[in-house]
Amino acid sequence: MSAPLTCEGLARSFGGVKAVQGVSLALPAGAVTALVGPNGAGKTTVFNLITGNLKADEGTAQIRGRPIIGLKPWQVARLGVARSFQDLRLFTQMNVRDNVLAATERGAWFWQGGDKRARLAAAEAAMEATGLTALAEARAVDLAYAERKFLSMARILAAGADIWLLDEPASGLDLSSRLRFGQLLKDARARGVAICLIEHNLDVVVDLADRIAFLDRGLVLAEGAPKEIMNDPKLAAIYFGDRSHEVAA
Amino acid sequence: MIAYFSNLATLVAIFGILAVTLNFMVGFAGIFSVAHAVFFGLGAYAGAQIALTVAPNPFLACAVAALIAGVLSLCLALPALRVRGEYFVAASLGLQMVALTLFSEVKSLTGGIGGLTNIPRPQIFGMEVGVLPLALLALGLLLWAIHAMANGSFGRTLKAIRDAESAAEAMGKPVAVAKALAVAFACAGAGVAGALFALHMSFVNVESFTLDQSVLVMAMVIVGGTGTLFGPLVGAVLLLSLPSALSFLTFIPPTEVGSVQQIIYGLAMTLLMVFRPAGLLGDQNKGKSHA
Repeated sequence: MSAPLTCEGLARSFGGVKAVQGVSLALPAGAVTALVGPNGAGKTTVFNLITGNLKADEGTAQIRGRPIIGLKPWQVARLGVARSFQDLRLFTQMNVRDNVLAATERGAWFWQGGDKRARLAAAEAAMEATGLTALAEARAVDLAYAERKFLSMARILAAGADIWLLDEPASGLDLSSRLRFGQLLKDARARGVAICLIEHNLDVVVDLADRIAFLDRGLVLAEGAPKEIMNDPKLAAIYFGDRSHEVAA
Repeated sequence: MIAYFSNLATLVAIFGILAVTLNFMVGFAGIFSVAHAVFFGLGAYAGAQIALTVAPNPFLACAVAALIAGVLSLCLALPALRVRGEYFVAASLGLQMVALTLFSEVKSLTGGIGGLTNIPRPQIFGMEVGVLPLALLALGLLLWAIHAMANGSFGRTLKAIRDAESAAEAMGKPVAVAKALAVAFACAGAGVAGALFALHMSFVNVESFTLDQSVLVMAMVIVGGTGTLFGPLVGAVLLLSLPSALSFLTFIPPTEVGSVQQIIYGLAMTLLMVFRPAGLLGDQNKGKSHA
C-alpha cells in the first residue's frame, strides 16, 4: 500500500514539556491507522504538527513526496488533508447545509472558481450519507450531540480529501450512531482514503483500525496490528494509568 | 422645512452606508472595529481634495475615496489577521487615535483643525446635482452587493471564519485573504460615505471623524442588529432622527436637548440589550442553543 502521508522524527516542545518526541508515521491509502494512548500522550499535537497548526521543532512530513512542514493549515488542506477537531468547531450560527457547503469552497475571493453544481452535489451527498438531509436548514448550534458529530463528518466527506485526520470522532456516540459512523469510515477506506484516527473507545479502534500506533509522553512506544498492541500488558497498563512497572524498572 | 428633512435624509443615507459597511465587518466577519470613522475621514478628505483640485465630479470623488480608503484599510487588516475579539478592538482604537492626530497635523491634505472649506457642490456634465440621490444610489448598490455576498460563498467563508477560524482554515480557506478583502470592502464603502459627506457639507474637519463617530456607527449596527441586511440602516435612521425629534419637543429647553438625548440613548440601549439583545431586526435566537 502506498502512503500518501508520511512523517519522520516529528518533535515539538512547549517550554520544558516534550509533547512530541521523534514521531514517525506513514498513513497508507485505503487503511485506518489509529493513534492510541493516554491523555497528554501527544496525539492531537501530532495532528497539529501535520496540519501546520503548530510548527515542528524537528522532523519532516510529506504528502505524496511534497514537504509540508512550514506550510500554513489552509495550504496543507489544499493538498488533500481534511481534519476534524475534538471540540468539533462547527460554524455554529450557520445552518447544516452552509456548514457542509463551506467545506467544498476553498477560495477566499468574492467568488469561487470551478463547478458550482458539483459542489452542491457533493454537499447534498455528504448530508445524505450522514443522515442530515432533513436537518439541512437547522442551525448547527441547535443540533443534538450526535448530529453535531455527524455534521463534522459530513464536512470531512464533502471536502473530497483523500487523507482524513479524525480527532475522537466517535466519543460520546451511542451504539447505533457508532455503527453508522464506523460504516462511513469503512466506505471511505474502501475508496482508498488514508485515515488516521485518534480514539479512546477501544471497541471502535479494534473494529476499524488496520494498524495502531501507541503513543505515550510524545513517543511512539509500539506500532503494529490491533491484536498485537491490545494484548500487550505493558501498554494496557500505561493506557489505564498504571505506571508501577516504571517504578519497578 | 423641506431643506431640513432633505438634509436629514442625506445624512441618514450617508450614515446608513457607514453602518451597513461596518456591519459587513462586524456581523459577517466578526471583526469589531472602532475605527470606521477613520476611513470615513479618509474618504471625506480624498473626495474633498478631488472636488477642490480636479473636478467636483461625485463619481470621480467617490471612486478615489473608495480606492484610498480600501488600500489604506490594510492598516486595519494587518492587526485583524493577528488578533481577535477585545485585542482587535484595542488595536483599532489605537489606529483611530493615530489617524485623528494625522488628520489634525497633515495640514496640506486635511487643512488641519480648520479643515477643508468651500468644497464645491457636486456636478455631473456641468449640472449641479443633490447629494441625496447619489447617497441613496450608493446605499442601494452597497445593500445589493452585501446581500449577494452574504448569501454566496464569500459570505459563507466570512461567517465560517467568524464562528470557527481554525476550522475554516482547515478546509483550505486562506483566512488572511478573506479577512483583508472584507475589511477592504467595508472601508472602501466608508470612503464613499466620506466623499458624499464632504460634498454634502461643503466643509470637513477632524471633528467629524473622532472616536465618538466610530462608536455612534457601531451603536447603529448593534441597535439595528448585527449580521442583518437592513438592521444597521434602521439603527442609522433611529439614532440620527432622535436628536431631530427631540428638537421638536418644545418643552425641552434647547440648552438641555443634548443631555436629554444622552439619557434617552442610554436608556434605549439598556432596554434594547435586555429585551432584544440581538438588535431590533436581529435573530433573537442568535448564539443560543436549543439542542
